Amino acid sequence: MGQHSYPTLQLSQRIGRQWSNIEATRTLSNQKLAELEEALIDLDSEDTSIVVLGSLGRREFTSDSDIDWNLLVDGIADPNHHALFLKIQKNMKPLAVKPLGREGTFGTFVSSHDLIHKIGGEEDTNANLTRRLLLLLESTPVGRPTAHERVIKNILKRYLFEDRSFWRGSGQGHHIPHFLLNDFARLWRTLAVDFAYKLRARSGEGWALRNIKLRMSRKLLYVAGLLGCFFIQFVFDPDVHHAVLGEETFRPDILEIVHGAFSETPLDIVANFLLNHKHLYGTASELFEAYDQFLGILLSSDLRNHFDKLSEGDGDSDSLYQEARKMSHRFRDALLDLFVDTEELGPLTRLYGVF
Amino acid sequence: MQPLGYSTGALALSDFRRALEMLKDQPVAAIELSAIRKHELIPLLRSLDGLDLSRFEYVSIHAPSEFSPQEERWIFQELYESRHRGWPIIVHPDTLHDFSVWETLGDLLCIENMDKRKPVGRTVQELNGLFEVFPRASFCFDIGHARQVDTSMVEAYRMLKAYGQRLRQVHVSEVSTQNKHATLSFVSILDYQEVANLIPQTVPVIIESIVSEDQVGPEINRVRKALAVT
Repeated sequence: MGQHSYPTLQLSQRIGRQWSNIEATRTLSNQKLAELEEALIDLDSEDTSIVVLGSLGRREFTSDSDIDWNLLVDGIADPNHHALFLKIQKNMKPLAVKPLGREGTFGTFVSSHDLIHKIGGEEDTNANLTRRLLLLLESTPVGRPTAHERVIKNILKRYLFEDRSFWRGSGQGHHIPHFLLNDFARLWRTLAVDFAYKLRARSGEGWALRNIKLRMSRKLLYVAGLLGCFFIQFVFDPDVHHAVLGEETFRPDILEIVHGAFSETPLDIVANFLLNHKHLYGTASELFEAYDQFLGILLSSDLRNHFDKLSEGDGDSDSLYQEARKMSHRFRDALLDLFVDTEELGPLTRLYGVF
Repeated sequence: MQPLGYSTGALALSDFRRALEMLKDQPVAAIELSAIRKHELIPLLRSLDGLDLSRFEYVSIHAPSEFSPQEERWIFQELYESRHRGWPIIVHPDTLHDFSVWETLGDLLCIENMDKRKPVGRTVQELNGLFEVFPRASFCFDIGHARQVDTSMVEAYRMLKAYGQRLRQVHVSEVSTQNKHATLSFVSILDYQEVANLIPQTVPVIIESIVSEDQVGPEINRVRKALAVT
């Protein structure tokens, strides 16, 4: 594989399409990550990772994107971590075009303790859930990756090793990590509910852009999460599948495989699956073309500004919004084709994604 | 019985005689003679003929953990001259400068996986490069270092799977985030138990936990529990 090759690009080449906006945001992301590496040099350590999330973590960065980041601490508590945090914040500022979101989910310290131990229950707050699962789905370390990788493995260890049914298998011979899958579903529904919450809290401000993002990039996170959970079904030959998953000594290998799957970007997780299913190339084309169109909106400052100012009441009569809505339906329909109508994913979606 | 014992350095720093004295009533059958600071090497090597090590089924020497390229020649030569004893020489891979000389030790050269401060030897990927350079070398699996690098124990598992055939001895202690070799805790015992089944029952276990004399026995018991040492 060439240095600049990645699954989505391979898929586009395989099916003879060009998704120029996906490629453009990928290039912009790599440029921004390189700038960050330079700006944050010597601010990393073995116990801490500077982690970027959001569009940059997904490699969908545009010139108008903000930079969502956290300082992940996985080691002894040190009062000087505050000085480190301030230094990162200072060095990051010139590279970011706008401030971070108001919820305080990003631009903060994150302790590995909360991410690893507080899964479910009263203490698993909205912010903790979001930080934990976005760490799995769309995070990239800047600088040394050691703490980032260690924390992700430990989160996956909790989800997988504590899920008896995953190892034992279902009556249908499926090995699905229910614990993890249910949390991805929870994240998706939380994002959707928070859309309504923000609509009210911000009196409709920024409604259209958030709506389009919910239908596209937020939904893509859930899609990547589901595929990551279903992925293990397709790794091994059916003859040995149950035996491998049932053998306790192979569990760290399985954890590594799942970790490897989630180390790709959400789009690449989808592309990886589709690359191996040639008969789904038509669906792939629909799905990625819709997503490419979405990134085209975000790449255009004019369109972005238009949607940023559009009120909910004007949405029905706005031709650009209606076009974006159609794009989101095209994306949704391709996902339904993939997850409901295929013999590979249909049964898994019905059994584990619905009831 | 799986040979189990201590590093003399963990018990009494450079005073290896004192360390051996501390172990005289303990159920140990393995010893690692530590020269982890370079000034300890000559006194240790010059004393070997006078030490009664007959009770130990397994003996190894820990080479200094820091020396310059200029010092490498004499340090290597001193260690090389002890090769007739057949004792593995435990080395930290980041200390080696001239690989060609160390390669002549064959399988007596025993490469230890490193803690997170070191630039090499921390992961399977980094060990792969080392064992390509030293194809005959054996492996000292430091379970505390492996856990410090990756508390999920996946890296420890991968090391034992990849290099189990080369495994010559195990180092055990709990390595803190500040790189101190402490006694095993409840949590580290649970972590070590996860990979203990991958360590053959014939491979010697060397305890590196820094303990006072009254804790020598209790730490042995903790290690037995963690690694299922018979």
